[in-house]
Amino acid sequence: MAKLWAVIKREYIERVRTKWFIISTVFGPLFFLGIMVLPGLMSVRGMKEAQVSDVRILDATERGLGERVVTALRQQAERDPLKALGGTMPVATQGQVVVVAPAQLAEAESTATHAIMRKELRSYLVLDATTLSEAKARTAGRNAGGIGENAKLEGAVRRAILADRLSAEGLDATRIDSLTRINVDLMAEKIGDRGRGGSGTVSIIFGFIISFLLYMMIILYGQNVLRGVLEEKTTRVSEVVVASVKPDILLAGKVLGVGAVGLTQQLVWLAFSVGVGTYGVVAAKMMGVPGMTAITLPQVTAIQMIALVLFFLLGYIFYSTLFAAVGAMCGSQEEAQQASQPVMMLLVASIIFVQPIITNPTGGLARTMSLLPFSAPIIMPLRMAVTEVPMTDLAIALVGLAVGCWAAIWVSARIYRVGLLMYGKRPDLKELIKWIRYA
Amino acid sequence: MTDLALHIQGISKRYAEHVAVRELSLAVPRGAVYGLLGPNGAGKTTTIRMILNIIAPDEGSVTVLGRSNRDSSILDRIGYLPEERGLYKKMEVRRVLRFLAELKGVDAKTADARINEWLDRLALRTPEKDWGKAKVEELSRGMQQKVQFIGTLVHEPELVILDEPFSGLDPINAQALKDTVVELKRRGKTVIFSTHLMDNAERLCDSVCIIARGEKVLDGAVAAVKAEHSGRTVALAVVGGASESVLTVLRDPALVGKFDDNNRYFEVELAPNADPQQLLQRVIAAGAAVTRFELVQPSLHQIFLQKVGAVGVEEGMSGHG
Repeated sequence: MAKLWAVIKREYIERVRTKWFIISTVFGPLFFLGIMVLPGLMSVRGMKEAQVSDVRILDATERGLGERVVTALRQQAERDPLKALGGTMPVATQGQVVVVAPAQLAEAESTATHAIMRKELRSYLVLDATTLSEAKARTAGRNAGGIGENAKLEGAVRRAILADRLSAEGLDATRIDSLTRINVDLMAEKIGDRGRGGSGTVSIIFGFIISFLLYMMIILYGQNVLRGVLEEKTTRVSEVVVASVKPDILLAGKVLGVGAVGLTQQLVWLAFSVGVGTYGVVAAKMMGVPGMTAITLPQVTAIQMIALVLFFLLGYIFYSTLFAAVGAMCGSQEEAQQASQPVMMLLVASIIFVQPIITNPTGGLARTMSLLPFSAPIIMPLRMAVTEVPMTDLAIALVGLAVGCWAAIWVSARIYRVGLLMYGKRPDLKELIKWIRYA
Repeated sequence: MTDLALHIQGISKRYAEHVAVRELSLAVPRGAVYGLLGPNGAGKTTTIRMILNIIAPDEGSVTVLGRSNRDSSILDRIGYLPEERGLYKKMEVRRVLRFLAELKGVDAKTADARINEWLDRLALRTPEKDWGKAKVEELSRGMQQKVQFIGTLVHEPELVILDEPFSGLDPINAQALKDTVVELKRRGKTVIFSTHLMDNAERLCDSVCIIARGEKVLDGAVAAVKAEHSGRTVALAVVGGASESVLTVLRDPALVGKFDDNNRYFEVELAPNADPQQLLQRVIAAGAAVTRFELVQPSLHQIFLQKVGAVGVEEGMSGHG
């Protein structure tokens, strides 16, 4: 036990003392913050650019539908979240409505097309008799595929048509205005067995962040273990060490020591994010990042919290022992990079499925991936964040992962024991099996 | 308390393709300097690794200082310098040594005192410069070897095992190593080292064991081994060096088993049942002016060649002994 402690202590202190650790601990949160905030800022800028203000409305309805569309667009703009955050108001001015006779529509369209080609205009919208009769409209422009912009136009046209129909029924303009001013604010809320559980969207983001973080930590520290083993092997220091301490204890000490470094780093980061959670939202609002208002984190129960920690620890142990085995059978960084591919594939396979699982967190794929030992550490926390997971599933996943860990340790310890003193050619699969059997 | 520092009983280690060590038995008395001699690939390193329980023998047992080597606490009383040496490059010298001491159960305070003592002794700490504070990678190769040596001895082991300790040492460090081995013996420690350099072994060892192809060829006290092989070797010198007629005599298999031209004289190993007098008569008859004809004790080197030459070095074997 004293020897295990000596190994853990060395692994921990030597890593914590490095500049790399200090830099990554201090700048890590800034980096992650950057990853999370930058897309927000970018999308704000993108939205500012993609205003519907530059739409030329070609109105061939002869009933002033174009004006109504402009009004609807303006109303939309008034309740745009961007306005609240100080973004520029979309300016849909009257001048952009071009009233044309149906006969001249083709000509007006070709003028607009040329204007777009000369970059004087972004897009145009055609309203004609069919718009009123069959609710059909056309738009063309540089940004015709933009889903957000099209949805805005579609909503505006719908309201304009509705206003037109109401007007035909004899309602006066102010009545029409108040009747059509419908602001739908769709709130997505998650409902589980125990009732409502916070915003659905926030859960998804939360789940995604957690699984991505777990993925990053497992890769970072798993590779760290690999490099440590490789260093001991290439500098030949391992033979001195295994003459004093059993390889299994050396392996355990390495995995635990590096894991402790990871936990230290995460504690620092956690403290940092609590700080950001308190003060950062205010700051983000001031910077003009949308969606930062009224974030209520999903309720995390004690059991979920424990499960989360267990998944991280077991996942880390599972992968880092495999990485250690890879390190022990290689003789150089290049070799290790190649040999660690199969282990990396397991991890990457898990993260690839995050997207489909978020879209369907209760499906068969989500369930299977969250139960398999190699993907459970990443997928189960994700599933837990976005949906209610039955206790039996949680238990199966944890027990499965624990068994997986045991198997990984068993195999890795054997490879490690033989590989550490074996120099020369990297073993192929056949030799590796022999190592495992003879060790 | 047993008087054996090391007792190996019939250990074997087989790998898929070959047998590394075959039914090897050894007894090393306490306080002895013991040489494990053999060509490359003979099984020396495998034997040493089995002594240290780094690898387990397929058969047989190893007793160290009266206890089975499976008892892991016994490892704390052994100091080991592997053939392939290395230290944590990025670590401070003092921290590496403290770590190695801690692995052997030495507390930090005791370790620090001993480390300083050793650093002073090996001139790694002088009033101008304390290399103990430097990172290992900043040290020269010779200094790293010294540090490694401190790491082997910092826990004051009763049994010191050195695998090819002289390989890669410059003459000054080699001399320092010899002095330390003698010093260790004087303090009652047991030293076992493997080597294929016979003159080192002959000068330092009380007893030797020669192994080849994983099997023991001979073992015993150096004096006894040499006595056993004496009377069969002749030192012969003739005026003007070897003439063709003298060489013809030396090539007679009925008379000479093997001869070695040492430039100033021949070291001649007589054929079984050959009479040295007959050899002298034949050489004179061949017209040579003999300046030296002496029945000598063979060198360990000669015995080694004679014995191992018979068993041979396994084809294509290289690297670890």
